[in-house]
Amino acid sequence: MIIIGERINGMFQDIAKAIRERDGSIVQEWAKKQEQNGARYLDINVGPGSAAPIEAMVWLVEETQKASDLPLCLDSTNYDAIEAGLKVCKRPAMINSVPAEAEKMDRVFTLAAEYDSEVICLAMSAEGIPKDSESRVALAMELVATGDGYGVPIENLYIDPLVLPCNVAQDHGPEVLETLRQVKLISDPPPKTVVGLSNASQGTRDRELVNRVFAVMAMACGLDAAIADACDDELMSAVATARILLNIDIYCDSYVDVFKQA
Amino acid sequence: MGLTGLEIFKHLPKTNCKECGFPTCLAFAMALASGKTSLDLCPYVTEEGKAALESASAPPIKLVKVGTGDHVLELGDETELFRHDKRFFHPTGVAVLISDTGDAAAEAAAFNELEFDRVGLHYVTDVVAVKCDSGDGAKFKAAVEAVAGKTEKAMILLCEDPALMEGAAAAVASRKPLLYAATADNYEKMVEIAKANECPLAVRGADLEKTAELVDKIVALDYKELVLDSGARETSQVLADLTQFRRGAIKKFRAFGYPSITFTTGEDPLDEIVQAGVFLSKYASIVVLKTAKQEHLLPLLSWRQNLYTDPQKPIAVEPGLYEVGEVNADSPVYCTTNFSLTYFIVEGEVENSRVPSYILSVDTGGISVLTAYADNKFSGEIIAKAMKEAGLEEKVNHKSIVLPGHVAVLQGALEEESGGWKVMVGPREAAGIPKFAKENFA
Amino acid sequence: MALEIQRERYRSKVGQVVLGATKEEGGTRSHTVTVGGESTLPFLHFEGEMPHRPVIALEITDMVPEWNPCFGEYYDDVFEDTAAWAKKCVDEYGADLVQIRLQSADPDLQDRSPEECAATVKKVLETVGVPLIVIGCGKAEKDNLIYPVVAEAAAGENLLLGVAEVENYKAITSSCMANLHNVIALSPIDINICKQLNILIAEMSMVMNGRIIIDPCMSALGYGIEYTYSIMERARLGALQGDRMLSMPMIGNIGHEVWRTKEANTPVEDAPGWGERAERAVLWEATTAMAFLQAGLDILVMRHPRAAALVRKNIDELMQDNSY
Repeated sequence: MIIIGERINGMFQDIAKAIRERDGSIVQEWAKKQEQNGARYLDINVGPGSAAPIEAMVWLVEETQKASDLPLCLDSTNYDAIEAGLKVCKRPAMINSVPAEAEKMDRVFTLAAEYDSEVICLAMSAEGIPKDSESRVALAMELVATGDGYGVPIENLYIDPLVLPCNVAQDHGPEVLETLRQVKLISDPPPKTVVGLSNASQGTRDRELVNRVFAVMAMACGLDAAIADACDDELMSAVATARILLNIDIYCDSYVDVFKQA
Repeated sequence: MGLTGLEIFKHLPKTNCKECGFPTCLAFAMALASGKTSLDLCPYVTEEGKAALESASAPPIKLVKVGTGDHVLELGDETELFRHDKRFFHPTGVAVLISDTGDAAAEAAAFNELEFDRVGLHYVTDVVAVKCDSGDGAKFKAAVEAVAGKTEKAMILLCEDPALMEGAAAAVASRKPLLYAATADNYEKMVEIAKANECPLAVRGADLEKTAELVDKIVALDYKELVLDSGARETSQVLADLTQFRRGAIKKFRAFGYPSITFTTGEDPLDEIVQAGVFLSKYASIVVLKTAKQEHLLPLLSWRQNLYTDPQKPIAVEPGLYEVGEVNADSPVYCTTNFSLTYFIVEGEVENSRVPSYILSVDTGGISVLTAYADNKFSGEIIAKAMKEAGLEEKVNHKSIVLPGHVAVLQGALEEESGGWKVMVGPREAAGIPKFAKENFA
Repeated sequence: MALEIQRERYRSKVGQVVLGATKEEGGTRSHTVTVGGESTLPFLHFEGEMPHRPVIALEITDMVPEWNPCFGEYYDDVFEDTAAWAKKCVDEYGADLVQIRLQSADPDLQDRSPEECAATVKKVLETVGVPLIVIGCGKAEKDNLIYPVVAEAAAGENLLLGVAEVENYKAITSSCMANLHNVIALSPIDINICKQLNILIAEMSMVMNGRIIIDPCMSALGYGIEYTYSIMERARLGALQGDRMLSMPMIGNIGHEVWRTKEANTPVEDAPGWGERAERAVLWEATTAMAFLQAGLDILVMRHPRAAALVRKNIDELMQDNSY
């Protein structure tokens, strides 16, 4: 599993302030820090309160790219902002995200085909998030079949089964894990999978513990990527260890360091 | 491997009629992919769709048999690109070429002797390929019959003129030879001969793409006992084509879902063996050689044996007493396990020590010294028993034996169990044996 | 169904290592040899690059070796003169590289001093233009005294020096760091130790980046070759999938392993079912090399000139384009 570093997000006050004051140093600092700790992509989100989301997105992308060569994950429900961001990305990026709704899929998959982007596909429709895994998988399949139709390679699609906080929607947990398993049966090569890890722990007291445990459980179900806190050292160590136990990386005594540096 | 949801979905009616009990065809396809339901529940799937789904769930490479009885050669039915992922199942058939213009009977008799004993294993050259160089149907038939009379091993008949092939194939049909080859020019007639005699048929195209097309045409004639030849002969291109055959088959490109046959071109037999080794390493089901000399075949057959072992299973040598060099009653005795790698390393180092010695290979189920010790399969009692069974007492007059250094802890137990043999603790690593031998037995 | 050529998309490639240095680069080699850089599995030119062909080193020792008498035909006139021997390997048998084993330094043999070893290496450097591989006598304590002296004497020549092992890598790595040589990292048919050793060496200094060659520990045909073969395949796949700590080019001491086997040495009289010894032995070495080429070996250290010639021809053939 790879980590998409979640920290460059206007939801955090320091990033919101940086955007307002157009102070790139703080953005660059987080870009470097996350990369050094093992992030493989950097999520870019201008945050909920941004007055001019398109300009903010372009600025964030450009500032981040000054500090890091990692591919970016452009996180917005405003597809104009995403398109503006894609235009200034130096390398193929990831679009975060699209639900199984015809109009939105049309816009996003067209962009993805044009910009050779990967896409995070949400297992939800206009009716919301289904509970059982069968319905989540059926939506995933709809997303894959549609994306495939637009010429987006299936390996470029990341299905997000949508994790809900374990304190309010405990019964969703097993369904999400089952969805991760089933998604691999959709096609060959199968689509990839991704979760927003910190959603699992939203509102709980021991957030980091919940995140770590959920991460390794999801990995055992085949999870390929997580949007997460790359600066949580214990999370990164747990992920590195799970990769060894799942025979993804080849073991050596220094495997944790290797995972972070690679 | 089963089918994926998307593959299944393509063959469903996509009407979302819900009669199967699932809300959509997509959901039904996913349920099928995970084995939770049965295709029978769909009232509207076409026969064509059903057939396509059935064929898609067949194994990636068809199992094709050449020859009969004890000498049947099973080809294909492979699933892996790398032996470490699981294993390779059906060892490459090594064939020797005989021309119908020479003394076919004598060559076949010589071919039949191409069997080898090495490290307790028996290696066999499996296939004899009789080639029509004479252009004479009677001669070819006579040669094929002569060869069949001298060997019971599997045969390949090489002749691209159906008129000449017909008689020869019929003459040895009961032996189920591989007929080589159907080409774009002769395939209809060749398929008829293969069908009539129930023999597997090799298919040779002008290149990879033409081979796929030809296979499709032959399958359309309802014949599927096929072996592929892409027509390439240059080492590098053959390697690429064999790789495409294997990868295509695993990806369920059906035209490549058959075993393959390759031919060496090297003039020098040594070049031939190296070339054959490349094909054998990378997926060829049969390699046809021109050379039939023991010194040439032994290395190739050894490589085949090594490559096709099961990586999950430790490889054992036959337990028992082995002699290294000209041993006599004074020669030292080493003991080790019957894990092949351990045994051979010890054997190599004992040889390097230049002191003729015995090696007692104790049956540990093919596991290494430390693992066997931990598992109680290499104990004083077990070693003592193996010493008795090997009749060590009668072989040597010194009543002493060398124990691997890693299990020095067994020294006392073995001395007791063996009834007073002197147990010497050897080096921990085999590399220390020459020095150990120099100090103790020189 | 239309044919679709299957091409794997790998994330990464094998690292490149340059051996030797010309006058402009601070050495005295007539040319350098670069190995590695593959972006696909061996010889699959249809899907990736193999920018440098695998190279063949012939092995020599600094004292008359106890080799099979059949080598007399090739080397009788030079066995006692290491430099002349090296020259013959290059001039007559077309060696891309020469590997000198400093056997005479073995305390149980001639116990020659590090300075004498360095003098031998210097002399070979003066006599041939190809890059050199230098390996110790195999006794760690003595080798650790030899490395710094030889490395300094050959400073600037960009040698490939061996061998570093997990239990003993610091002395040789320091010698390489100080004098800018490359190092052979030997691990005993164990991919985990192989990776760890690369990390340990890399951690000693950034200088070692691009200066490590992996020796996965050869085994001969019929003697566990399949273990090494699979480890090499796994390591190479790891490299292509982005495991930087396994992405080094690989070297194998093929001749050394093969010529210890029964099959290479037993005359036909003692093994009547095995055929005549001379060609059997040559093929034992060539077939071992062929197999390891298919697993990704970059530097083949061989012994018999005829086996080397066979393998060179095989490499020639395999380097031909096979793209679709």
